[in-house]
Amino acid sequence: MSIISVEEALFRLGDEKLNHSITEIDLEKAKIGQDLIYFGRTVRDGKKSKRISSYFVCTDCHNMSKEFEDITSQDPSERLVYAKKNGLEFLPGSTLWGIYNRTSFYNDDYVRKYGDLVDDARNSLENSTQLCAKYCSSGRNLEDWELEGIMHYFKKNQLMIKDLNLSEDNRSLLASYQNLSDPERTKLISAIKAEYVEGYAATFLETMPRDKRKYGEGGDVENGKTIYEKSCMYCHENKRVTYLHLDQGKLSGKMFWRNIKSYNDRSLYQIIRHGTYSKAGRKQYMPHYTEEKMSDAQLNDLVAYIKLIAKKK
Amino acid sequence: MKKILLIAAVSMTTLGFAQEVQETFNGTRVINGHSTETLEARILQFRIEHRFGDMAGANGGVQQFFGFDQAADIRFAFEYGITKDLMVGLGRSKGTGAPYRSLVDMFVKYKILAQEKGKMPVSLTVLGSGTATYMQASSDLTQVTSFPEFAHRLAYNSQLLVSRKFGESVSAQLMPTYVHRNFVDIDDVNGMFAIGGALHCKITKTIGLSAEYYHAIHDSGVRTTNTNSLGFAFEWITNGHTFKLNVTNSRGFNETQFIPYTYSSWKDGEFRLGFTISRNFKL
Repeated sequence: MSIISVEEALFRLGDEKLNHSITEIDLEKAKIGQDLIYFGRTVRDGKKSKRISSYFVCTDCHNMSKEFEDITSQDPSERLVYAKKNGLEFLPGSTLWGIYNRTSFYNDDYVRKYGDLVDDARNSLENSTQLCAKYCSSGRNLEDWELEGIMHYFKKNQLMIKDLNLSEDNRSLLASYQNLSDPERTKLISAIKAEYVEGYAATFLETMPRDKRKYGEGGDVENGKTIYEKSCMYCHENKRVTYLHLDQGKLSGKMFWRNIKSYNDRSLYQIIRHGTYSKAGRKQYMPHYTEEKMSDAQLNDLVAYIKLIAKKK
Repeated sequence: MKKILLIAAVSMTTLGFAQEVQETFNGTRVINGHSTETLEARILQFRIEHRFGDMAGANGGVQQFFGFDQAADIRFAFEYGITKDLMVGLGRSKGTGAPYRSLVDMFVKYKILAQEKGKMPVSLTVLGSGTATYMQASSDLTQVTSFPEFAHRLAYNSQLLVSRKFGESVSAQLMPTYVHRNFVDIDDVNGMFAIGGALHCKITKTIGLSAEYYHAIHDSGVRTTNTNSLGFAFEWITNGHTFKLNVTNSRGFNETQFIPYTYSSWKDGEFRLGFTISRNFKL
């Protein structure tokens, strides 16, 4: 029973089908989706397809694997520990692993900030994927075959019952689901859904006021180094996604440290929380980190590391 | 197996070349000449370059507002990174009039070696460039601008650019050069070697200083009125823009012009302010 998918288990228990439900994975379509997610294009009919975005691919902002030891967690400190242990990046977007099982997207402050723009995407994986392709990646709308491929790849990376920390009792109940009463089924559905995240929270924070900033004091330098390597340098090293090259040298450190008290793009307190904006002529922007993706304590850790490489006392 | 290949491909994309030394120079040019840097793949760069008139000397001073009343040369160009190591460029410049005006230039530049910590001590880039003038031919057949044949409008340059970055801030470059012009004056030479040297110092992450000198090598009996190009620059980079403010005694753009056709002398006040603005677009 544990090798069945979460979707299948819920369906057997009488839960409603997902809006984007796919009955059977088509591996060829999933391969197309995989290409699009990792490289932004694929080869179709012997020709390279048009890039979804000139600026980003999905994996610039999203991991494609499990991000927490306990997948019900949304705690950024646990996410960092898991990233460090498993060699993952520490990115501003939620993982796309298991996104197939989610029912709510662009939650909380995305609604407050972007309003109508995210309305159609809130409860639709297809629409939220389109929104991400067009706006978040400064790209274009996906064609039907591209979206279909991505959906099949998401399905391929769906949650399985074995991925959940389901109790032995509940596993036994699921194994004999035919014998369950309706209330028992409803209870088991809730128990299964409690073992993963159906919609990630998103809290947008303002730039921290100067009087609240600790400027690295008491920060964990090792944590900060990990964040710098797995967040900042993931995009900035060798100008991979951006025009600004960052390394662990003194000049990079000093650039940030010189602006640490500011309210501009070079201030870590501002850039982490606001990112930059896409504009004509410079479509590649920096996405912001929500509180759930980087906590204020982690930001202080990062500042502590910057202070170290800037060789400031 | 497919999964392993995918992971390898993604690793190459995201983590590859991690040890390559970056930002040896602020941009693809030192001042007049090229640096070992190439544009990243799929980057289109638009460049505007300008050289004003002499700041001092007989043609400068307050009457010419220190050269601002004149434009020694102006160049517009589009340059493109085909891969991270291979770039091409196409430009048009006004020309200094000494001797050419209305020049079109093209170049291909390839980075053969990239400096890597503990592995490769230098970066090595090869450059091939050429210019063609489409100015009206002079009816005076004694002039180098009379162009009896179309080929006489053409000039070529080939260079090896060898650079090394020392630590975080200081870089140096050598530029052995060969320039060939198809049609020259009686006291000039068609083929000519030159050796260039450049220094760059990063003051901050975004501000730097550069110096560049080209020494033309030829017999002492020819080209007696020519001088060598020497320039200094202040650079400022932003997200996508590079600004260079420079002072140099040479007037023209392109190696086929500023190496063989510099006549101005620093000690006579014949140096000028110039600037370069470049803007990158990702395609």
